[in-house]
Amino acid sequence: MENNRQKALRKLMAARFALHDAELYLDSHPDCQEGLRYFRAKREQMEKLRNEYEAEFGSLTAACAKADERWEWVCGAFPWERGES
Amino acid sequence: MFQYEKVLQYPVNIKTPNPALAKVIISQLGGPDGEVGAAMRYLNQRYSAPCREVQAILTDIGTEELGHMEMVAAILYQLTRNLSVKEIKESGFDAYFVDHTAGVYPTAASGFPWTAASMQVKGDVITDLNEDMAAEQKARTTYDNILRLSDDPDVNNVMRYLREREIVHYQRFGEALRRTIDRLDDKNYYIMNPAFDR
Repeated sequence: MENNRQKALRKLMAARFALHDAELYLDSHPDCQEGLRYFRAKREQMEKLRNEYEAEFGSLTAACAKADERWEWVCGAFPWERGES
Repeated sequence: MFQYEKVLQYPVNIKTPNPALAKVIISQLGGPDGEVGAAMRYLNQRYSAPCREVQAILTDIGTEELGHMEMVAAILYQLTRNLSVKEIKESGFDAYFVDHTAGVYPTAASGFPWTAASMQVKGDVITDLNEDMAAEQKARTTYDNILRLSDDPDVNNVMRYLREREIVHYQRFGEALRRTIDRLDDKNYYIMNPAFDR
């Protein structure tokens, strides 16, 4: 069974993937207006999902990790562990 | 520079450890057509690419390959967890275990360690992009072969995803090659090497 964190993560991964695939397409089609529109929509979607995920479950990058009482980067599991992706 | 994101490109959750299968999958980490070689090939070739589009494709596909390296490593890590000595001996994993325990080491299935001799940086964009297209097809064939050898649905799901990515990358490199040829003298694009001859 997926928990809430996994559900949010899977949605983010799907949006992250769509954005990345669009990046590769735009590298070889930099003037494709339909591609650019798709990229902008996906970026907006991905940023929203990433902000929601990071607010609830912790930062995905060390540079954005919380550094208040304890270094947040070492609190969450790394993604190669089973159940972490 | 590069920044790490704490997320796999595609989920890897392997229910059943299987060291015999890990012995085969490891070629897509450190074998001649594996993900380590792919990342090293593209990220080192990009400096002699003559236009921004090709520099971008090599950078962005090379970066994705680093993510694939992590996914294949995650499969190996999860396939070799909680092994008993009996399982290690019976699966034939002992030859790897003696040197690396259950650590993830980039090597071919044959035991030959990853080597830069399995890739090339020729410093000529036409030559390099042709190598890159061949490299994607070689990796696709290797994933096909793994799918013939594996009956683990958790592993095969990821193998099919990675196989698809090889096909997309092949397409993008083909477009990069076409763009490059269009910019050079397309009647004789071998007349010079744009990275060297000025």
